[in-house]
Amino acid sequence: MLDFAEMVLNTAEPVYAQINEFVKRQIFLGRAKKGDLLPSRRELATLLKINPNTAQKAFRTLEEAGLVLTPKNTVSILYFDEDMLLDIQREMTAGLVAEFVKKLKENKLSLEEVQGLLQQEWEKGEKNEKYAEA
Amino acid sequence: MVEISKLYFTYPNYKTVLQDITFTVPAGQIVAVLGANGAGKTTLLKLIGGLMVPDAGSHITIDGKAPQALAGQIAFISEAGTYFNDLTPKAYGRFLGDFFPSFDMAYFELLLDFFHLEERPMKKMSKGQKAKAEVAAGMAKKTPYIMMDEPFVGKDMFTRQDFMQALSGTLTGKETIFITTHEIKEIENFVDRVIILKDNEIAVDITLEALRQEGKTIQSLMKETIGYREDGFCSFLDGEE
Repeated sequence: MLDFAEMVLNTAEPVYAQINEFVKRQIFLGRAKKGDLLPSRRELATLLKINPNTAQKAFRTLEEAGLVLTPKNTVSILYFDEDMLLDIQREMTAGLVAEFVKKLKENKLSLEEVQGLLQQEWEKGEKNEKYAEA
Repeated sequence: MVEISKLYFTYPNYKTVLQDITFTVPAGQIVAVLGANGAGKTTLLKLIGGLMVPDAGSHITIDGKAPQALAGQIAFISEAGTYFNDLTPKAYGRFLGDFFPSFDMAYFELLLDFFHLEERPMKKMSKGQKAKAEVAAGMAKKTPYIMMDEPFVGKDMFTRQDFMQALSGTLTGKETIFITTHEIKEIENFVDRVIILKDNEIAVDITLEALRQEGKTIQSLMKETIGYREDGFCSFLDGEE
């Protein structure tokens, strides 16, 4: 069962879009697998304290994206193939980088400065990993 | 579907409360009617619910009929309470069962349990308990139209959240709901649309999706429309019960 218990809603994006994002993120992080069951629309509405039409809309957009299959009036299940997984990975990474770059620009950093800092931080991480292994 | 156009309402003392109100609400939409105290929110709900009659020339129809023709299909949940003080919740439920063909007694008892309400005359209950009995009775009517007038007043934060959860789990998505409240936080992720009344007219009418695309929240919209401070009111109420 795909677990929505950890999901915290914000007030910046439409709720159905947040639910979509959450499902994709669970797939991206490997916490959700192909064939996992989804809660019913009513269960989802109750859990998130949202209105049932919003839960319905979230399911509909997930179904349109091909990520959720609902065979005739049965329980909905999660579905994705290799290509879809790749798309999600790209989307999640692109979003992360876009957010990162936006904040760096707000801090008035140049690309050169960032590249230098990035390299430094990257290598620091690798050193730590080596220590951890040793 | 609720269709309202050129709606005016004037009290017998010639005080105009609403003027030139026009909007249409499709079935299944959840609409927050917001505004400062005295902006006409409750009046608007009463007019839609058929409890009062607007000025001549105004137009209100629900599914093509006058609200008064839909008796038994509109539930009112009000801060003021619609119950009888001498009745216990269950006795009140039996009374409602005679009036509302769709009243669901089993569901009503489930809600009474959910809210931990005991069987005793409602006049002996606290403000918060009365509010819960009122909400349970309103929801158990299972009507396609629900008018909620300040349903959170007198309820602490946990009860408000319990109530939202009970509401989310109860609705089928087909109910059309109008809700007035000062507890913006509770409805921020629940309503489909916001109508703000100011100076007797509609100041803003926007869907939540459009609102968020503009990068705003209901709270920020209220602030810019009527200069509203949310905390001023709710922190005051949280101490009660």
